[in-house]
Amino acid sequence: MDYSPLLLSLKVAAISTFFVFLAGVFIAYLLAKRDFFGKSILEALFLLPLVLPPTVVGFGLLILFGKKGWIGSWLVEWFDFQIVFTWIGAVIASIVVSFPLMYQSAAAAFESLDERLSNAARTMGASEWRVFWSVVFPLAWPGLLAGLVLSFARGLGEFGATLMLAGYIPGKTDTIPMAIYFAVESGQMEKATFWVVIIIVFGFSLILWVNWWSKRNIRRFTRS
Amino acid sequence: MKRFLLMVLFAVLSIMLVGCSDSTGPKKTDGTDQETPVVDKPAEEVELLISAAASLTDALEDLKATYEEEHEGVKLTYNFGSSGKLATNIENGAPSDVFLSASSKDMNDMEEKGLIRDGTRKDFTSNVLVLIAHKDSNSTIDSFKAIDPEKVDHFAVGEPESVPVGRYTKETFENLNLWEPLQNKLVMGSDVRQVLTHVEMGNADLGIVYSSDAFVSDDVKVLAESNPEWHAPIVYPGAVVEASKHREAAQNFLDYLTSDAGKEVLQKFGFK
Amino acid sequence: MGQLVEQTQYPPIHAILTVVGINMLNVQIHKQLAHYEMKISFEMAHEILVLVGPSGSGKTTILHMVAGLIHPDCGMITSKKRIFFETNEKPMPARERQIGYLFQDYALFPHMTVEKNIWYGVKKAQRNESREMITQLLQVLGIEHLLQKYPHQVSGGEKQRVGLARALAARPSVLLLDEPLSALDKETRQQCQNELLRLHDIWKIPFIIVTHDLDEAERLGDRIIYLDQGTIADEKWKKQLTYH
Repeated sequence: MDYSPLLLSLKVAAISTFFVFLAGVFIAYLLAKRDFFGKSILEALFLLPLVLPPTVVGFGLLILFGKKGWIGSWLVEWFDFQIVFTWIGAVIASIVVSFPLMYQSAAAAFESLDERLSNAARTMGASEWRVFWSVVFPLAWPGLLAGLVLSFARGLGEFGATLMLAGYIPGKTDTIPMAIYFAVESGQMEKATFWVVIIIVFGFSLILWVNWWSKRNIRRFTRS
Repeated sequence: MKRFLLMVLFAVLSIMLVGCSDSTGPKKTDGTDQETPVVDKPAEEVELLISAAASLTDALEDLKATYEEEHEGVKLTYNFGSSGKLATNIENGAPSDVFLSASSKDMNDMEEKGLIRDGTRKDFTSNVLVLIAHKDSNSTIDSFKAIDPEKVDHFAVGEPESVPVGRYTKETFENLNLWEPLQNKLVMGSDVRQVLTHVEMGNADLGIVYSSDAFVSDDVKVLAESNPEWHAPIVYPGAVVEASKHREAAQNFLDYLTSDAGKEVLQKFGFK
Repeated sequence: MGQLVEQTQYPPIHAILTVVGINMLNVQIHKQLAHYEMKISFEMAHEILVLVGPSGSGKTTILHMVAGLIHPDCGMITSKKRIFFETNEKPMPARERQIGYLFQDYALFPHMTVEKNIWYGVKKAQRNESREMITQLLQVLGIEHLLQKYPHQVSGGEKQRVGLARALAARPSVLLLDEPLSALDKETRQQCQNELLRLHDIWKIPFIIVTHDLDEAERLGDRIIYLDQGTIADEKWKKQLTYH
C-alpha cells in the first residue's frame, strides 16, 4: 500500500488551513462591527464557494490559475511558476473551499464579543495590536478554533475543485479523496475501504477533540 | 461485525463522494413480472425512452427533430449518462426502451443478466482515439508515434481503471511503449469531458479523447488519429431493453441509427 | 451633603479656578446623530459632574466622545491644555488620552484574574512606582483578597470596585463612570456611593458620572446636567463647593 496520499492530504490541509486561518481571522476582524455599503455583497461573495458545486469552483479556479488563466498566465510569464497540476493547486482549491467556514466562524466569534471589552482596553492605553492579542483573540479563540478545525477537515476532504485544478497525477497530486474516488470507480473496494477508514478516523477524532476542548474552555470564561 | 460496520461506513461515505451513483450490488429486477405483452397502437403517441452514453448527446439531439417528423406518433426522450450508470439504472428498474452504450463491457453484462432483448443487439457506430492539442498549440506532432515524453509537461488522459477512454489510451500507449515513460506526466481525468477541458484551457499540452469529443470542441485541434490495431475496438452497441413496452418502435429507432440517414448524422459529429 | 439650588451662572469659585487655570476639562461638541443633533458645551474642574436624562438622550455618547471611542463632527475637547479633539484636526487616539472609564457592567476581562485586570493599563515603565499607589487603592476599596480570582467568581459590588481600581490604576486625568451603581442592590449601592465620594476626595480629578437615577445624581453630584435629545435642558449646582 502506498501511503503518499495520506502525507499529501495532511500537507495540503495543513498549509491551506494556515493561510485560511490568517486570512479568515484578519478579514473577519476587519469587517466585524463595521458597516458599509456593499458589506453584505462582499460577505455573500466569501460564502459563495459553500453553495457552488465543487466542479464549478474548480472551473473558476482554472480560469484564474490555468496556464492561460488571468493569474496563472502572469505567474508563468514572470516566475515560470505553474499552479495547475501541482500540489500547490490542491492547496489553493482547499483554501477557496474552506475559507467560507473559517470566515463564518471568525465573524460570528468577533461579532459576539462585547465591544466594551476592547474599548476598555483602549482607554487603558492599549494599542490596537495589544487590544487584539490580549483581549479579542483569547476571547474569540473557541470560535476561531472551531473554524480552524472545520477548515482543516474541509481541506482534508476536498475533492471536486482539487481534481480540476491539481489534476490526478498518481504519486504527485493524489490526495486521499482522489484515491478513494478512483478506487471506487475502478472497483478496488479494499483500497477504497482502507482510505475511507483512515479519513473517518482522522475527521472524527479531530471534531471530537475540538468539541471536548471548547466545552472545557468556554466553561472557564463564562460568568456564573 | 467490525467488517460489517466498516462496510456501512464505507457505503455512506462513498455515496457522499461519488454523488448519486446507486448501489452496485447485484439486485435482480423483476423484468419477468412486467412482461405482459403490450401491442403498439400506432394511433397513440409513443414516448420512446432512450438511455444513451453521454458522448452521443450532440448527435442524438441533432437527429431528434428529423426522426420525430419522419415517424409520426413517436416522441424521443433521452436520458444521458455514463454507460455504467445507465446500465445500473435499467437493472434497478428505471424505465427505458433503448440502451445505447459506449462500451461493450456494459452491454455484455446486461446481456448476461437478460436485461436486453435477444437478437436486438448491434454495434451501431464506432469511434477512434485522437491526439489533441490546444488550437493555438504549435506542436508539430503528426502521429502517436511522434510523441516525445521528454517534451511533454502534462498529458491529459482518462483514468485507465475507471474511464473507458483511459483504458483504450493505456492499451495504445502500452503498444507504443509510451506508458512507462509518460508515467508522472499523465493527468488523469475522471471522465472524457475533463480530459478535453484540460486541453481546451491550455493546461495540458496534449490529450487523448474520442474523435467525436474532439469534434464538438472549438478550442482543440486533432493532431493524429490512432490506429485501430493498437487498442480494442471502440464500438457503440445498442439494444432494445427487455422490459420495454414499445419494442417495435424501439427496434425501428435502432434500425434508423444504422441506416444511411442515421450514419450521416453520427458521422457529422465525428463518429465513424 | 449640600443642598442643590437652581443656578445657571457659574458660582464665583468656579470662575476663579478657570482664571487660575486649574480648570481641567473643556467640552464643546456637535454631532449629528440618528434621531437628533447633539450640541453640548461645558467645562469643569475637579468636581463630580453628573449627567442625567432619559435613555437615548446622549449621556453615554458624551462619555464616548471624551474618551475618544467616537468623535464629534466638530467642536473641541481639551483636558489640562491637552487637545483631545479639535475640528479638522486628527483626534488624539483613545489610548493616549489618559482617561479612566468605568463601563456599564464594568467590562472586566473575563479571561484575566482581578490582578491582571487591574494592572492592564499600567505601563511597564511605571510598574514599580505604581505598586504602592495600587496597594493603597486596593486597601481603600477592600479588594486585596480577590486578586487571584476571575471576574465571574466575585460578587456584583466587588466587580464594581475592581472596575474602579482598574480605571484608576493607570493614573487617569479624568474618570468617566457609566451607570456605575445601577447593577447593584440597594444596600451595596449606598455603600458604593460613599466610596465614590471618598475616592473623589483622594484623587482630585474630574469625575463625570452618567445615571438615570435622580436621587443618586443629587447624592453624588457637585453639579448636575440634565440632558434631553442631545442638548442641555437644565443645570444645577450644589450650593457649597469645596476644593481641597
